[in-house]
Amino acid sequence: MFNTPILAISFPAILASSVHDIKNSLTTLRVLIGQLENSHQDPKPNEFKQLEFETNRMNNSLMQLLTLYKIDLSQFNLAIDEHSAADIVEDVVAQQSTLLSLGNIQLITQCDDDLLCYCDNTLISNALCTLVNNAQRYCQSKIRLSVSKEDDYIVFCIEDDGKGYPENLMPSEHQQLPQIDLANGNAGLGLFFTKTIAQLHVKGSKHGFISTDNHSQLGGARFKLYLP
Amino acid sequence: MAINLASKKILVVDDQAIMRETFKHILGSFGARFIVEAESGISAITAMRIDRFDIVLCDYNLLRGKNGQQVLEEAKYLKLLPVHAIFIMVTCEQSQQMVLSAIDNRPDDYLIKPFNPQQLLSRIQRCHDRKQYLADIENEIDNGNLYQAIQCCKQLLQQNDKKMRLPLLKLHAELALKVGDFKTAEAIYQDILEERELPWARLGLGTTAFFLGYYAQAVKTFQALIEQHPVMMEAYDWLVKTYELMGNDDDAVSSLNSAVTLSPLSILRQKKLALLAERTENLPVAKKAYTATIKLGKNSIHRSSSDYSGLANIYLKSNAANEALKILYELNQQFRDDPEAKLRSALLEIEIHQAKGNKTMAQQAYGRAFKLNEQFDKQLSKELRLEMAKTFYLNGNNGICDEILNDLIKTNIDDNLFIKNIVTLCDTIIGKNYAETLLQQIKKELVDINNKGVRLFQEGNIKGALAVFEQAIVKIPDNQTIILNMIKIIIHDIKTSKPDPEKIINAQSYINKAIQVGIPHNQISGLQTELNIIQYKTHP
Repeated sequence: MFNTPILAISFPAILASSVHDIKNSLTTLRVLIGQLENSHQDPKPNEFKQLEFETNRMNNSLMQLLTLYKIDLSQFNLAIDEHSAADIVEDVVAQQSTLLSLGNIQLITQCDDDLLCYCDNTLISNALCTLVNNAQRYCQSKIRLSVSKEDDYIVFCIEDDGKGYPENLMPSEHQQLPQIDLANGNAGLGLFFTKTIAQLHVKGSKHGFISTDNHSQLGGARFKLYLP
Repeated sequence: MAINLASKKILVVDDQAIMRETFKHILGSFGARFIVEAESGISAITAMRIDRFDIVLCDYNLLRGKNGQQVLEEAKYLKLLPVHAIFIMVTCEQSQQMVLSAIDNRPDDYLIKPFNPQQLLSRIQRCHDRKQYLADIENEIDNGNLYQAIQCCKQLLQQNDKKMRLPLLKLHAELALKVGDFKTAEAIYQDILEERELPWARLGLGTTAFFLGYYAQAVKTFQALIEQHPVMMEAYDWLVKTYELMGNDDDAVSSLNSAVTLSPLSILRQKKLALLAERTENLPVAKKAYTATIKLGKNSIHRSSSDYSGLANIYLKSNAANEALKILYELNQQFRDDPEAKLRSALLEIEIHQAKGNKTMAQQAYGRAFKLNEQFDKQLSKELRLEMAKTFYLNGNNGICDEILNDLIKTNIDDNLFIKNIVTLCDTIIGKNYAETLLQQIKKELVDINNKGVRLFQEGNIKGALAVFEQAIVKIPDNQTIILNMIKIIIHDIKTSKPDPEKIINAQSYINKAIQVGIPHNQISGLQTELNIIQYKTHP
């Protein structure tokens, strides 16, 4: 019926190749932005911050799109190994460093050097980057990224001093996990992505999960990622 | 400690000028002074021939010619990278990593585009720290001193660095597998798996089962891994190896076929598939795989004239003699000064012209093959020499055939698979018992040499005994018994004479050779310990 393939190349190949192209363009775009930025004296125009934020966001969305698509196709391997939590935090800070240097937002980190966790470190740091990037938009001046151990879980916690999550991104009475409404835009997709990959991290009968609330030490939103 | 980029030689490989500029700009801002650019794989290899680089940043998707993986393979193969060098592959996508991974060569790390200066620096710093930490082990491995490398591993483990515990255990287990200490490897993997289900540890346990000969168990482990991690290429590679040793060639072909579908760019997998499919008479698969191998070979260090002769042979078997000749023409174009290539071509031409009923042409090709064999004889690969022996026999030249077979058996006496190939070939074309008699003769010769050496040793004539074994090693280089006796006599000699560092080095090099030729762990480890004690006494 309608299943006759029209395309000579498979859709996964087209998607992968398009993502690849866009990523190359994004890389070039960022290089050009960097060059432009260097030609400006401090204080730099506020637009640079916006540009950095948007390119981060485009990159994160692309990465999420491709990963979720592959999970859906069962063509996805989680590369689980033991990693230092401090290294993951360092990766997130490094990824956010350009954006942070352009604004007046402070990213506070707290992580024990000895803390180890079993995870796919690239995926986890990508997910955390997305969420920290989003937090930069909603906070006033501070974000806190911390790692701790709670029972059998390693917990990555992102807090900010903004207005907190709207009700639709928080757990309801009937549901422990936050309800994620994709129509709500990127904030929703980031949470959905993190929730999906958290669930893929398994130890025995324990799965990874996420939680959202507004009990931030800093007064705004609080996000937690639990990995077994 | 923060890495000092000012003292490092750095190579940046990217086909886009703007990316090379970016790398240079970022690295320069962190203090780097010596930065070389290359816009293609070939110029990267040339640059590495001129300078010994400490850091290589290489884009995977180089537009023309070699890709990043092929650059890495070639650099490793040609030993262009110092042991301490850091090779970082720059890719667009994270999941490419696994599918890309070739059988042996992995970069030290991946850097995913786009990245910012801080990310680049932190990636280099982390690789640097890890390499520094493992430097002693890597150096011992590079020198072939595997037992010393294991010792280093154990010492570092005692320092109790939590972050490094698992990487060290992984290295220890891999080294244990290499020296044939399978029980130790098994125990390490099992301990890790009790803590946590980690794919690499499960794979390790499977390979241990493979080496211990528990094939059914190994197959089960690899299949389960593939089930859970559908793109884990190494699990496929091991599954194929296991099927092969079990004599289950059909399953080996079908598993390898799935692997190649997922990872079509690995030339070694394509080549292996071609050979296996040829052996199982699966001509369509063999043809496809050989064709892919030839295409990939254009940019690869692993290209070989045997890819072309293999494909030509498949055409011959499919009754397409003219197609076969076309491929041989291309072979001769591609490998102009390579005697192996010429010989392969000549051997096939004989068969093709015979099949076409063209006696004169066949005779001419035979003449060429004869000359080439005279000229290059022992420099040729063993598989090709066996082919030669067959052709000589089929063309009535039994004397030369005998000579080649004799030498092949002698030099490969402990290579069971190859000896089996020789026996099978002789059984089908010459007749039963022919190879058997030859084997018995050579084994007797070996026993005689050994007895002579041991007798001289027992009579106290150490020099005489050493001379006998030294001569034997020239003639029969890879025989396990001769190598073992040689090590024992050298160690005895060191113990009973005044200390001589050169003798210690000599003993160590034979121990390393013993590991290479696959002498079991329980026969070498004692000798290594003895040598270590001697070394400790001379240089405490």
